[in-house]
Amino acid sequence: METKTEAASFRDPSGFLFFKDGALYRQINQGYREHYDHMQTSGLYESLIAQKLIISHDEITGMDFPDPASGYKIIKPDVVDFISYPYEWSFLQLRGAALTTLRLARAALDHGMILKDASAYNLQFHKGHWVLIDTLSFEIYEEGVPWVAYRQFCQHFLAPLALMAYRRDQRLNLMSRLFIDGIPLDITAKLLPSRTKLWFGLLTHIHLHARSQKQYADKAVSREQVRGKISQQALIGLLDSLRNTIKGLSVPVGGTEWADYYGETNYSPSAFDEKKTIVSDFIDKAKPERVWDLGANTGEFSRLASDKGVFTVAFDVDPSAVSQNYIRVRKEREENLLPLVMDLTNPSPGLGWGHCERQSLMARGPVPLVLALALVHHMAISNNVPLGRLASFFSQICEHLVIEFVPKSDSQVQRLLLSREDIFNEYTVSGFEAAFQAHFAIIEKRSVSGSERILYLMKSNASQVVK
Amino acid sequence: MRISILLKPLMYLDPGSGSFIIQMLLAGFLGIAVAVRIYWKKIVAFFGKNKSGKVQDELDELDEYGEQQDSGSEED
Repeated sequence: METKTEAASFRDPSGFLFFKDGALYRQINQGYREHYDHMQTSGLYESLIAQKLIISHDEITGMDFPDPASGYKIIKPDVVDFISYPYEWSFLQLRGAALTTLRLARAALDHGMILKDASAYNLQFHKGHWVLIDTLSFEIYEEGVPWVAYRQFCQHFLAPLALMAYRRDQRLNLMSRLFIDGIPLDITAKLLPSRTKLWFGLLTHIHLHARSQKQYADKAVSREQVRGKISQQALIGLLDSLRNTIKGLSVPVGGTEWADYYGETNYSPSAFDEKKTIVSDFIDKAKPERVWDLGANTGEFSRLASDKGVFTVAFDVDPSAVSQNYIRVRKEREENLLPLVMDLTNPSPGLGWGHCERQSLMARGPVPLVLALALVHHMAISNNVPLGRLASFFSQICEHLVIEFVPKSDSQVQRLLLSREDIFNEYTVSGFEAAFQAHFAIIEKRSVSGSERILYLMKSNASQVVK
Repeated sequence: MRISILLKPLMYLDPGSGSFIIQMLLAGFLGIAVAVRIYWKKIVAFFGKNKSGKVQDELDELDEYGEQQDSGSEED
């Protein structure tokens, strides 16, 4: 029986995650015993479960500890369908995760505990809610001690949110990809416009905070020295102030390149409906347990899968389209759809220690079904990816593939070719089919009437194990 | 005292000296702000809250108060 420690779970000595026979478990160490027990007996865990704020878990008995010297308990947390990272979220998603973190911190205080870390990576959008996935994030509150996770909260949440809001550009969220522990506050302070110093929230939590970090960088301040210096009321004030600051930040949603996509296509309404019928039919034939929709826009086609109860991740390069999709997920209480920002021409890499703390997109696959609708021309023509390489990429991430071929005569492709020379001789129906048949078997091929587009259902030749 | 001995080895994050100091500097003000806010809320509640109706605020309600309190929060 194979036991393997999870690659990102090494910083906190309270415990660690491990896999055994493919299932995920968490060892809780003796050092965390009092805190874990307090979380259970104080009613905090129960309260967080009732509010859907934490991932649920079962205590496991009779299993050997992977690290017997330090083991106290083994728990088996509920599994999250897809682990996503803050740099893959739109502004509203990061904002939601931030407000949830503050809500967790307040709930903890009400039960005599405090959130001991405020990492954005500890939050996941799971079944339509933001939940804390790190069960060991709480410690017994000691009156008078400042918030240990304040720096982390500001770096992981406030800094990227303020940058996006004040520079009015959601792409700035990608800066979180550069810094494993959040965007440093000194850089944030430099990048924010000076007028942010006029606002109490950003003046204190970013600008003065950054200056204080610089001033005391080489001076040790122990927990003993700060004990008794910040009352519980002041701590609540700090959390409230962070909450108000975050609630004051916004980025306009919509009105970008892709968000109006469906209004601009050359489909007639009947062709659009027909395309939906065909895709839905292909999904039924593939019977997937999970779906990735690549180039999902606002999730119109993703919902053909998620509405059937299939967990679906809807990736798009445009944060505004992802925001709109997310708003719909929240408003309609959808539980099977996860909208994410992803540039497929440069997808999320493996990051952190040993490149393993945050997984690349491909490492989080493969999946039973990928939808690639109105996508190929963007990869093949805008990004010059040869069709053979595209087919090879898809064969590594999925078992079944629903893919749309958009011919050169299509107005969308013509638009892409407007400002450049047509160097794409292989970009024809036969060239496309030949390239993909090197990796896939074409199960079905249907054209959308009233357009020149063709939809394919394919199955990968590789006999890989789909996660 | 016993608790603090237990707590110590678990503080695995470096809170940062500067991040501790700024909290201490803000502490007095933030404590007072909480008290003021409680009274302010009562005043606002008395005159009735003017809702912006923005999508963002709707989502905030879900993240800040959850589903259960959702219907109730509209009367706030």
